[in-house]
Amino acid sequence: MGEHTYEILLAAAVASPLVSFWLLVFFGPRLGKPKAGWVGVLLGMGVPLIMGTIVMIGWWFFEDEASRAALTEHAFRWKWANLGAVAVDIGVKLDSLTVAMFFMVTFIAFWIFVFSVGYMKGHSDEVSGQCKYWRFFAYLSLFGFAMLGLVLSSNLLFLFIFWELVGLCSYLLIGFYFDKAFASKAAMKAFITNRVGDFGFLIGLMLVYFHLGTLDLDQAATRFAEQYASGTGIFASGFTMFGWSLATIMGVGLFCGAMGKSAQFPLHVWLPDAMAGPTPVSALIHAATMVAAGVYLVARVYRLMTPDALMFISTIGCLTLTLMALIAMVQVDIKKCLAYSTLSQLGYMIFGMGCGAWVAALFHLVTHAFFKAMLFLGSGQVIEGCHHEQDMRKMGGLRHKMPFTCWTFFVGVLAISGAGIPAMHIGLGGYFSKDEILAVAYTRSYVWGEGDFSKHEAHEGEHHSSTSTVHDVPVQLAAYQEHGEPEHADHGGAHESVDAHSSAPLALIFEHTKPLPKWMFWLAIITAYITPFYMMRCWWLTFMGKPRDEHVHEHAHETPMMFIPLVVLAIGTVFASYYLFRPLMADAAGAATAAPMVMAIDGDVHTPAITSAHSWLVYGVGFAFVAGFALAYLIYRDGLAVGDRIKQRLWPLHTLLVNKYYIDELYELVWVKGCVLLAKTAGFFDKWVVDLIFNLAAAITERLASFSGMIVDKHGVDGVVNGIAQTSMDVAGVASSAQTGRIRNYVLVTAAVAAVVLICLVWFGTNSGYSGARSFSALSP
Amino acid sequence: MDLLTLIVFLPTLGAVACLVTPRQHIRMVALAVSFVTFVLSLTLFGTFWAGSGDVAIFGEHYGTLHETVRADWIVGDRFAIEYFLGVDGLSFPLIILTTLVSFLACLASWNFDSWKVNRGPRAYFILFLLLETGMLGVFVALDFFLFYIFWELMLLPMYFLIGVWGGPRREYAAIKFFLFTLGGSVLMLVALVAMYFFSDHAITQAMVEQGVDVIESGYRDGVGVTHGTFDMIELATNTAIQGYFGAKSTLFLGLRFAPLMFAFLFIGFAIKLPIVPLHTWLPDAHVESPTPISMILAGVLLKMGGYGFLRICYPIFPSGGYTLAFYVAMIGVVSIVYGALCAMAQTDFKRLVAYSSVSHMGFVLLGIAVMTKSGMQGAMFQMIAHGISSPMCFFLVGVIYERAHHREINRFGGLWLTMPKYGTMATIGFFAALGLPGLCGFIGEVWVLLGTFAARDMFPWAIPMAIVAASSVILTAGYILWLIQRVYLGREREEYKGFLDASPREMFVLVPLAVLCIALGVLPMQTVFNFTNGTLDLMLAQVLSGAGVG
Repeated sequence: MGEHTYEILLAAAVASPLVSFWLLVFFGPRLGKPKAGWVGVLLGMGVPLIMGTIVMIGWWFFEDEASRAALTEHAFRWKWANLGAVAVDIGVKLDSLTVAMFFMVTFIAFWIFVFSVGYMKGHSDEVSGQCKYWRFFAYLSLFGFAMLGLVLSSNLLFLFIFWELVGLCSYLLIGFYFDKAFASKAAMKAFITNRVGDFGFLIGLMLVYFHLGTLDLDQAATRFAEQYASGTGIFASGFTMFGWSLATIMGVGLFCGAMGKSAQFPLHVWLPDAMAGPTPVSALIHAATMVAAGVYLVARVYRLMTPDALMFISTIGCLTLTLMALIAMVQVDIKKCLAYSTLSQLGYMIFGMGCGAWVAALFHLVTHAFFKAMLFLGSGQVIEGCHHEQDMRKMGGLRHKMPFTCWTFFVGVLAISGAGIPAMHIGLGGYFSKDEILAVAYTRSYVWGEGDFSKHEAHEGEHHSSTSTVHDVPVQLAAYQEHGEPEHADHGGAHESVDAHSSAPLALIFEHTKPLPKWMFWLAIITAYITPFYMMRCWWLTFMGKPRDEHVHEHAHETPMMFIPLVVLAIGTVFASYYLFRPLMADAAGAATAAPMVMAIDGDVHTPAITSAHSWLVYGVGFAFVAGFALAYLIYRDGLAVGDRIKQRLWPLHTLLVNKYYIDELYELVWVKGCVLLAKTAGFFDKWVVDLIFNLAAAITERLASFSGMIVDKHGVDGVVNGIAQTSMDVAGVASSAQTGRIRNYVLVTAAVAAVVLICLVWFGTNSGYSGARSFSALSP
Repeated sequence: MDLLTLIVFLPTLGAVACLVTPRQHIRMVALAVSFVTFVLSLTLFGTFWAGSGDVAIFGEHYGTLHETVRADWIVGDRFAIEYFLGVDGLSFPLIILTTLVSFLACLASWNFDSWKVNRGPRAYFILFLLLETGMLGVFVALDFFLFYIFWELMLLPMYFLIGVWGGPRREYAAIKFFLFTLGGSVLMLVALVAMYFFSDHAITQAMVEQGVDVIESGYRDGVGVTHGTFDMIELATNTAIQGYFGAKSTLFLGLRFAPLMFAFLFIGFAIKLPIVPLHTWLPDAHVESPTPISMILAGVLLKMGGYGFLRICYPIFPSGGYTLAFYVAMIGVVSIVYGALCAMAQTDFKRLVAYSSVSHMGFVLLGIAVMTKSGMQGAMFQMIAHGISSPMCFFLVGVIYERAHHREINRFGGLWLTMPKYGTMATIGFFAALGLPGLCGFIGEVWVLLGTFAARDMFPWAIPMAIVAASSVILTAGYILWLIQRVYLGREREEYKGFLDASPREMFVLVPLAVLCIALGVLPMQTVFNFTNGTLDLMLAQVLSGAGVG
């Protein structure tokens, strides 16, 4: 294809939802139902999906590795503004990751848009008789624009801009039913929590801007590698905080943004509340795309990471995945249950990123997007069918009433549980992606510490040997940077980084990177057993067993119109991810992980080269779903009775979990109340201290003025000032309104003060500093 | 007649016309005059586009001026005061902003009759137009004395506009406004006189050194001799003057001349900006002002402080700015955070917006104080952006006040449902104030923050300041979203059900501002930076070399 063809297609794909947004804003009310929805579907996501598909096919099937690299390097840039002396460009970051993400987002979003056309019919005009149907699609279109823009951004500032814009859309959509107090509160909570993360993001941006002198992603990575090699710039500073170097602080700062958007502990509190939004929104924004943007951000700035920063990232991810999975076990609201499972899975992705499982984390992002979107849509069907009932305790036995939903949902449950058959390389998306993350975590915690791993890898690295020939290492590993080198080294430009860091031996990386603490690996494994349990519990309580609420069951029904998206996404869950997305991610990995200080590890344990030393892990995790399913089945087979008994036995734990570790309460007390208290204090201080001082000063002056006014000749200065004021007031015709006499006194005093100051000035001036007159007179003959 | 004089004094002519116009046509005349002024100011664009390309329009060397008018005005024994007007990158966007906001404010005054004040429209519109002349004069005057005259000229109409047409506590607010500004003016006056005499000395000295017969050359009308100047560009660029002003040995009242004069001028301008703790006039003035006057106050008057820094304080006393940078930046950061906290505590809608202005203008101060390119650019952008978003916010408050006759935030709710168009506009306006990317408030903040961070080579304290200032993004989001939630979201309230949505006239005021909010946010270079950066960069280079840094 011609130069910039891809960029033009992608840019058109981003512009289309924006057009849709404006169309809906201006003509939405006239279009009505469901036309407004179809505008959203076609322009908002249809066009982008077509473009995304064309780009994906062209990119993957008609370009070879070299031409892809060339395209990446010569991608389009347009100067947007100058930031001081640094130019900020609008541009397209064109690589396999972008293409994959773009396709994934457009594909999933398209089907969710389609789902919404039907779903929102009954969910959009409950308020004051006003139809908000078009508004929903306007917001969704705006979201499409922002999300696609985020994926394409080649520049950290633009990434940040779109980042905030998706946050805005999230705010508007969570608060879609803003007449309900909980919805508008949840929206506010989401935005503000995200802003806390963005605060860190901003600090990271400042460090990038100042030390690397650019905000372009590629350039920043190049300069980072150069500075590392030469020990200059950000590496020259001896500054540390919490034992972190400046470079680590930069990485952690950028990651803070991801913590907000991807709802990582301790900024996770907004996501469960975000379920107040309409269900398609939960599926699209709060499960599949926007919340994954944090992971995408980390992937994009991976080249700026340090070992310490990655350790922080993996710690946060590990805490999130465990703590949130535990909460998911006790949720009774079907959407909340899915929300906590999303949190847990996001934790897996972030954890994977922190471990160095760059490909696996992104791969998990994609697989998760598919099955979680489908699960949410399924829950939407259920909620719709049960007339807005979300409590799973009142459901049960819905399989007869909504068979399609039941079985597509089950596919999702299998996928998220990581169901697959280990020995035969068969499984659903989640099976491959999660195991891959765990395999890398295993490597990082067990194999990394042992000396021969590092020696061996360093040795392999020197020879650029292909890892597929390696049989004597426990896990098939590849440091992507070694892959990336031969192809990119001769392109120069954006890939100078490769030259710069190729001299840095892998041994250095091993020396500076501590092994992953073993508890993290074990928590991730244990959670892999918890996940199937709570998902099975969720599915069983909803669809299987006997109906527990006759009323709900009686009216339950399925809406045929909304099948198709469910089925399409189910197919995607089963097939697309491993054979389509993983290779794309792996292709992008070469250049995108060419970091000077850290490396990414290929943990694809499902290739035939898998070795026996690793198999217990694979089998252990591979069959986790069986154990989890069995436990859930045993407990919930006969309804809620057994569960209730366990609940009573373990009440302290249950109470803690149901109350989400009391984190919301803590935040409310410390941050919200604290902040309001601080604000009230400031307001009080302003009114009763700052203002009072001036009022007192004014009062004293006034007394002084009226006193002096009695003494000073009333017909002198006062008379003149009075006269002027009088005249001007007369002209304006306002004499009586403002004539209080006070202003006259003030002017009098001010004039007096000015006179005194001027006299001082001339007096001291001639005596000390200013000596113009004298020097002049000295010159005169 | 030349363009600038026409632009500045056309409103005065309009004021005269208002004197004789029949009562029912006065507002028409005022609107027409302010509109023509706006259009005339737009023709300035043509001047610049005709000359050069799209970058660095005002950038040959600092002091490149366009449309200059220069004539002797008051030439006495010891003084030579000029009528000296001109436009460069600092003043150009502010002139457009002034004429635009004045025009929209005039339109916002259209329903004057419903304000239930006992004073007629004649005086109101006359004062309004005089105020516009004063504001425009401040931005185009390049002779310090002339500048001072315009500065004071603007004060009086404002005083009456607040004091007569304001709310219940209007007299208190008006006097407070008047006194604070006057206090600043006194200091400015001192600096004005001192600068004149010191420049006289500096130039005389230089002439003596060059062997010029100073008496002959300075002889005027057989009486006195002076070489002093009020020319602000001359004061900033003349090496003899700069050398003398900045020298450590130049003392005034026993203190170093440059920092002291800087401080005097700084306080004078900072009161207008305003800064904490000299800000308390602002909330009162805003709360008591009628809506259009609030728009002008927030949109234009506050910018005069920032303009004063950029035009006078820093170019003329660079070493003063450098010496006092820490304190200035500190005040900026305190204003940002304190303003945001106070805003959060308010229950009066208008007072909240007023405090948010304090917070936003803190960014202007911070950006200028750190003396970096992006800091200066951001400060300038922030002034323009705030000049667009804050009048919009005040007008939004005014719209609802006219209907509800109160401004208690907690008594509102669900207004987006009651008034969908108005609610949408409010969302744009308040999100612009919040600093959402894609809208105008974002660019200024980010530029200033990054600029502050980048100042760390010069100032070791820059990083902590940048971080504290950056934390305000959370506070700002907090109070604005909380406001939106309480006023616009939530269940529709019975008592507001009958409210009409924004009228066409109201939309006519809001839509241009909303469009500008978006345009500035999306295309910052084409809308602002191209016009300001040339001058700003050159000025900064000169300031830094004057301060002995660059």
